[in-house]
Amino acid sequence: MSEKQTFKIYEKPKLESSCLVVGWGEDAGKLGTKVIDYLNKKLGGKEFGEIEPAGFFSLGGVSVEDDVAQFPESKFYWFPEKYLVTLKSNRPTSDWYKFLDSVLDVAEHYCRAKELYTIGGMVSPAAHTSPRELLAVANSPEMREILGLYELSRDMDYETPPGQRPTLNSYLLWVAKRRNVAAASIWVPIPFYLVAAEDPQAWRKTVEFLDRRFGLGIDFRDLDEDAARQNEKLAELRSRSSEVDSYIRKLESNLGLTQEENEELVREVEEFFRRRD
Amino acid sequence: MRHVEKRGAMGIRLDRMPEVENPVLIAGWPGIGNIGIIAVDTLRGMMRAEEFGEIEPWDFFYPKRVIIRNGELMDLEFPTSKFYFKRTERQDFILFIGEEQPAQAGRAYAEGKKAYQMANLVLDVALEFGCRRVYTSGAAVAPIHHTVRPKVWAVSNSEGLIDEVRSYENTILMSDIEGREGQGNITGLNGLLLGVARKRGLEAICVMGEIPVYLQGLALAYPKASRSVLEVLTTALGIRIEMGGIDELVESSEREIERVYELFPSEMREQLDKLKYVTYAKPTEPEPITEEDKKRILEDIDKFFKKEPKED
Repeated sequence: MSEKQTFKIYEKPKLESSCLVVGWGEDAGKLGTKVIDYLNKKLGGKEFGEIEPAGFFSLGGVSVEDDVAQFPESKFYWFPEKYLVTLKSNRPTSDWYKFLDSVLDVAEHYCRAKELYTIGGMVSPAAHTSPRELLAVANSPEMREILGLYELSRDMDYETPPGQRPTLNSYLLWVAKRRNVAAASIWVPIPFYLVAAEDPQAWRKTVEFLDRRFGLGIDFRDLDEDAARQNEKLAELRSRSSEVDSYIRKLESNLGLTQEENEELVREVEEFFRRRD
Repeated sequence: MRHVEKRGAMGIRLDRMPEVENPVLIAGWPGIGNIGIIAVDTLRGMMRAEEFGEIEPWDFFYPKRVIIRNGELMDLEFPTSKFYFKRTERQDFILFIGEEQPAQAGRAYAEGKKAYQMANLVLDVALEFGCRRVYTSGAAVAPIHHTVRPKVWAVSNSEGLIDEVRSYENTILMSDIEGREGQGNITGLNGLLLGVARKRGLEAICVMGEIPVYLQGLALAYPKASRSVLEVLTTALGIRIEMGGIDELVESSEREIERVYELFPSEMREQLDKLKYVTYAKPTEPEPITEEDKKRILEDIDKFFKKEPKED
């Protein structure tokens, strides 16, 4: 594949400048795709291009989820009248640098993007009743200053532990840094037992930040209703299962659970949502 | 600094241009038991070879470590692929050590386009400095016991090298191994480099230290085989190095392997102990156990591990 064929642009967005927000599939609490889907739907996002999957994804067949064949997608959307572009993408499985460089190519050359934000969920040992808090990592001191205007925790110290690898979000921040594009990762802790389910509170917290940052004028009632429904479901599960209730109570009291209790709680919650949905 | 852009957008960065004459390239990547890379890295350390360049990593590897300080991404580290050189009176050397093989997600060994590109970049540098011969090193999974001195399997990329390879001490060819008829596979870059070298007109030899079949899946380093590889390489190249460092490594690994071995079921250990007396290379004199015994032991081990012997 030649360099030019890594992405397709169907329609050049009419943007003087923009910020790109990136959400990945296979994210904790479905945060990445849910937030991008929400923005696209709420603000009338127009698909204008995509990164071609060949070379970046294993195309030896298709996976099937809920009886539907899946295929990797990496699609860009723009929003007339807004200072915003979004990318909703599966995570590439090879040639990551070239993929991320292509993301920056589209952002810079077709959207005149000045800033880039990645969003992602991180696994948290806290209970779902704890307030969600945003954490941010910037790729430059200037970007860190900008983030200081918002309610974000931005004093993270971290090194990848042995045996683990950095996140794709960190990789994208680094690629952006090499190209002098200001970028930040916005992280939301997701209670560990909601990682495979959904976490509307985390979606709301993330959208709230993006709304403030880009002046999107979003009405949050629908997200509040989603969060309330989720809390009701979890309350119902707690009332039905004294074990689940005791585990969550322990978490609410900042007491840790044993490995077995952790696994049991995850199993119960996942099973409950599977039956309900 | 010299920045060499070759083979599309992938780059080689040379910080200096060492004055070497007809150097021999010795390359190593991780593999089973890390036999090859331990051998090459020991050689690098003992020869005090100096770093002079590297292959830029981002087209080949996923990063291995991020460093975030006070909410700012400070650095992203990638697996390294570095070149070293050493001048000696008899022979100059270029050493290449790849910290990882450029594999697809979830795979241990390089294959396909990336592997081919990496092999070519290594040879680009070798040829730029006038290299005509390449050695690589890896593992040969064999039905041997861990108390036995590992032999070294050698494969060359041209018929003209076979006599030379046959003259190396403690070394066997694929055709010496019963049932193989000179056939086999060398997985990953330690093997692929031989083929790419042949395509580009360089002589190449891969020397593979034997690792017991029952250790191949245990994620343990096997420096005992690296030592055997080093003995072959240093003799073939006419160099002497101090083996004290690798001997310490071997001792500590032997203790670890004995500890793990003791955890195997006693019935299995009884079977494995018989490997001390198995000769799988074509016999030249009467063996201490019968052919029938040998067949049964190898079948039992194969059944237990459900794996075919292989090389990397």
